[in-house]
Amino acid sequence: MRSKYMAATSCLLAALALGVAACGDEEEPTPGGEGNEQTAEGKDLTIYSSLPLQGASRVQTEALVNGAKLALEQAGGKAGPHRVKYESLDDSTAQAGSWTPEAESANALKAAQDEATAVYIGAFNSGASKVSIPILSEAGVPQISPANTYVGLTTNDPGSEPGEPDKYYPTGDRTFARIVPKDTIQAAALVTLMKTDGCTKVAMTNDKEVYGAGLARVIELSAKEQGLELTSNDAIDKNASNYRSLAQKAKAAGADCFVYSGITANNAVQQFKDFAAALGSDAGLYGPDGVAETGFVSEKDGGIPASLNPQVKVTVATLSPDQYPPEGQEFFKQFTEKYGVDNPDPYAIYGYEAMKLALDAIERSGTGEKADIKKAIFETKDRASVLGTYSIDENGDTTLTDYGAYSVKDGELTFDQTIKAQAG
Amino acid sequence: MEAASIPAGPPASQRVKQLIGTYGLTAVLLIMPVWFAIQDLTDEGNLVRLGENLVAGLSNGAIWALVAIGYTLVYGIVELINFAHGEIFMIGSFISASLIVTLGLTVDSAAVPVFFGLLAALLLAMIGSGTLNVLIERVAYRPLRSAPKLAPLITAVGMSFILQNVGLLWKGGNQQGVPDLLNAQNTLFTVFGVTIENADVLSVVVTIPLLIVMTSFINRSRLGKAMRATAQDPEAARLMGINVDTTISLTFLLGGMLAGAAGLIYAMYQTTIWFFQGFTGGLIAFTAAVMGGIGNLRGAVLGGLIIGFIQQMSDNRIGTEWTPAIVFGYLVLIMVFKPSGLLGEQTRDAG
Repeated sequence: MRSKYMAATSCLLAALALGVAACGDEEEPTPGGEGNEQTAEGKDLTIYSSLPLQGASRVQTEALVNGAKLALEQAGGKAGPHRVKYESLDDSTAQAGSWTPEAESANALKAAQDEATAVYIGAFNSGASKVSIPILSEAGVPQISPANTYVGLTTNDPGSEPGEPDKYYPTGDRTFARIVPKDTIQAAALVTLMKTDGCTKVAMTNDKEVYGAGLARVIELSAKEQGLELTSNDAIDKNASNYRSLAQKAKAAGADCFVYSGITANNAVQQFKDFAAALGSDAGLYGPDGVAETGFVSEKDGGIPASLNPQVKVTVATLSPDQYPPEGQEFFKQFTEKYGVDNPDPYAIYGYEAMKLALDAIERSGTGEKADIKKAIFETKDRASVLGTYSIDENGDTTLTDYGAYSVKDGELTFDQTIKAQAG
Repeated sequence: MEAASIPAGPPASQRVKQLIGTYGLTAVLLIMPVWFAIQDLTDEGNLVRLGENLVAGLSNGAIWALVAIGYTLVYGIVELINFAHGEIFMIGSFISASLIVTLGLTVDSAAVPVFFGLLAALLLAMIGSGTLNVLIERVAYRPLRSAPKLAPLITAVGMSFILQNVGLLWKGGNQQGVPDLLNAQNTLFTVFGVTIENADVLSVVVTIPLLIVMTSFINRSRLGKAMRATAQDPEAARLMGINVDTTISLTFLLGGMLAGAAGLIYAMYQTTIWFFQGFTGGLIAFTAAVMGGIGNLRGAVLGGLIIGFIQQMSDNRIGTEWTPAIVFGYLVLIMVFKPSGLLGEQTRDAG
């Protein structure tokens, strides 16, 4: 009977997910209805984004969307001769509090079926891109992720699973690019940070998702290379009520630090509470970009208690505004003026740059055809951007490598230092 | 001369079956602790680690026991699996957490306000959850009492969804922190090297008196006798002048109150609450009730404690990702050896 109950739950959640996913936020609508109408001046094109606009990542994804809107507004809604509109889609549900496969799949299908689609910005979570890449690749829709770091989406480097990344591209046609460094870099940055902070034995947990499990594998490799001892790498049950016995195991193994590889929505806060209690107030507690969000660091938003703030450090590809080139610093000024926020979320600049790259690729494509836009994205070389100068390699990876180390103060992420970690 | 007759015993296969039938259940229950005890003695020369697993299991299991009693009480009297019971437990957590915030209690509050604040939260959570459970019975179950059994079962699932969405709208989709008023994971004292934390004491100190009051009420009071009579034969109870409707409402009230109390303990123990805790917690508690023998109060408590022990040993020794599978594996084994559950009794259905 319980299985029937669970099946009913799944069906209802799927229905809700599809319903929510259908509710997009359309920006700058252009006349002409559906389809990429060609006029003498160019085409009417659409850029979609698919991000979790509900749950723990909401603050970051709102900043991404606002960054993208600002870039389009500055371009006057045009890319070369083409008129571009932007539609923000949600790949999360309130029930899940994070992305769901059903919502991401529905968003990707919507973009794939729209003749006017030029670029798909997303996803925020690597697991979500695992769902959308095959759909978009088959339809030939170019995709730019402002946040995915999982190794296996683009390469078969250590940390990926067998068959990756080819299994995501059924036609063999690479359509996915990202503007954040992959987890090989992040893992090296995390291990470097832990070593610098004096960790000698580190207990690790992962949330079993594509991103969390993949990053954990790369952290294991990086720790081995850098001579840092990992006492464990436990996959957790995200629905467990607590992790006290697991934390006691780490304590018994002599761990003096803890690192979690996963996202906030998978019970990250409870893990940090339990490991902090078991390992003591001197233990360093580390997390990746999956927890670099308000829902994790701010107690009033359901995050870690303020008492843990001094122990927690997080790595994320975003840097402090003053660490960016002048263009980047100018962006933060403009963003502050436009949206009236004193301390813009670091992810805003990635939303801005993803849109800028998309517009630039559309313009360089000339025709506004998907195939030409995709070619232009993969031919991006030495692009002087708000993030710094970078290229997109043949796998779709950025050549940027800097990671920021953040501590937590008064429930907010505070930039500490730039880690120039090189994998391998 | 007749050959001396040798009394023939049962064949070997039957003797093995008898042995398994007699001792199999005990062996199943003891296999993990005994195995780990041997392992600890071999590796570390003491049983501290196992002791810590058992203490954590006891305090976790006590919470599941409180929730499981609600399932078993309702099943015992109306033979309905109240799927909404887990969500009643979640609402209990939400009510108590909201009152704590409303009263302005924080980790820095003094002991006296914290004590009275928690007492008020306990009462409010129990009253709120109990009342809600009674209302659900009145609106969604009572009109279907003579309907086919599938009908109230489906309305129970429906109520579960409704309450889950109430929780979602109330506190949002993410886990919410609750002020750690009791410094839950602070070591209070150690016994033979086994640490006892504030949360362990809270869980046991609140749960045991509630269980004693509940069993005394059911065994000794007039209303408790009415409940037992209704559970045995509602029609006969009605003929004897017992108000069956009131008795059933009382059962839902008591079950809801215990779920409310469990909600507060859970909030203080985990210091994190969320709208989905009722689903996962309810599933565990329902399993505990079935494992102990649904319809039997002591069985529900025993089932809750056994699940608590299994969970903590598995988390600590095997890995949290395997814990749900191990818990349900135990359930299957116990059902195989004793289909009515550990302390199961005959229900009206079973004859």
